[in-house]
Amino acid sequence: MKGKWGSSHLLQICAMILALTAAGPAQAQEAKSYSNMAPVEQYLMADRDAEIALARTAAPDSVSREAEVLVLGRHGYETAVKGKNGFTCVVERGWMSPFNAPEFWNPKLRGPICFNPAATRSILPLTIKRTELILAGMSKAQMAESIKSALDRKELPALEGGAMSYMMSKKAYLTDSGEHNLCHLMIYAPLTERASWGADLAGSPIMFAGQFQGAPEPITVFLVPVAKWSDGTPAPSM
Amino acid sequence: MNTRFAIAVALVCSLLVVCRAQTEAKQQDNAGQFASMAPIDQYLIADRNAEIALARSAAPPSIARDAKVLVLGRHGYETAAEGTNGFVCVVDRSWMLPFDNPEFWDPAVRLPFCLNPPAVRSMLPLTIKEAEWALAGMTKSKLFDRTKAAFESNELPQPERGSMCFMMSKQQNFGPKFGNADSHLMFWFPQKDHVNWGAEFPGVPVDVHQYSPQPITEFAISVSKWSDGTAAPLD
Repeated sequence: MKGKWGSSHLLQICAMILALTAAGPAQAQEAKSYSNMAPVEQYLMADRDAEIALARTAAPDSVSREAEVLVLGRHGYETAVKGKNGFTCVVERGWMSPFNAPEFWNPKLRGPICFNPAATRSILPLTIKRTELILAGMSKAQMAESIKSALDRKELPALEGGAMSYMMSKKAYLTDSGEHNLCHLMIYAPLTERASWGADLAGSPIMFAGQFQGAPEPITVFLVPVAKWSDGTPAPSM
Repeated sequence: MNTRFAIAVALVCSLLVVCRAQTEAKQQDNAGQFASMAPIDQYLIADRNAEIALARSAAPPSIARDAKVLVLGRHGYETAAEGTNGFVCVVDRSWMLPFDNPEFWDPAVRLPFCLNPPAVRSMLPLTIKEAEWALAGMTKSKLFDRTKAAFESNELPQPERGSMCFMMSKQQNFGPKFGNADSHLMFWFPQKDHVNWGAEFPGVPVDVHQYSPQPITEFAISVSKWSDGTAAPLD
């Protein structure tokens, strides 16, 4: 069950995912190397087909081959492939971490993710909005304020029940630390405390992700590690 | 050579036919065996502390030790331990299986689960009511109709958003076919929301159950460990 990674590696990965997604006030100091946005080119993928393929690795082929695929352009995400099944796959960048995450500006981060239909309607717009604001040159503070205003004016949709996503790509790069990756599903809930799902408690298979958590999006994200990468090969056991 | 081959094929076919017949006969026996409710005593756990421990085995101790625990009495569930974290742990009995499950009245079935606070408010009432109705002597068809009516009249609530539970007990028993199955989490949604987690697609690590007459969609995700931290089987 431990696969090729020992438990120390798994703890390291858990720690890094938590660091990436759940940075609290005590962790608010950013790593010096990623204190500012890098040149835009470093966040882009020159090969459009490679980005499409990477986005699709987030979910099993049975889901992603008929999903809509977006790729990142200079001003935001663009539709690269029209979908048929209501799912949408995209490669998120570091700025989809919490605003205080140390690797928020890490240009190496690549987070392939496939949203289910409910998340396509209610979570993907947050990814698109944040990305547009980033690429327009806004600061984190300006971006947070802009998103808050958009939420208040209902220009961004409310969370739909049943929103979830797949992050099962073997090729994801989620952090500089450890093995860089974690095979998991993400489930989006109305803003709540991590304790209400027993997340991060000893032995619990649920992890809390501080991706939104009311700052400003009123959404709580939980991770559930799963056993196989999207290609069907075993992922490290949690 | 051809004759010997034909004889071999005939023998293998005969063996398969016999095996299939035996399997079908066993299934019919099971269906007959659990065609109606067994004596109530068979659904009860005589040792109250054992039932409390079994209920708590549904989730890791970090969650279950502070959860409220219910145990089954002759007329329904009773509070056996008060909780402090908003979770409730309880052992479901066979009548919480789907109505078309042949184990519906199997008194050996034990399904420990620990519900989170939204599920305590919106899904635990179903467990409590079904137990009361079953222990009052309702037949399966009456239980079906009563459950349907309870949802139609809003006597029973729809799943609240964020409702989920832990089913990570190594001691759980889904009946002879599935045994203790796997360690998993469950997530509930109103069927009317038409939630799609892609569970019908190959390779997706999610199972879906559409209940009837309960207007509830249930998703299950297998996890790699039982609540005691030991490795659990995965699909």
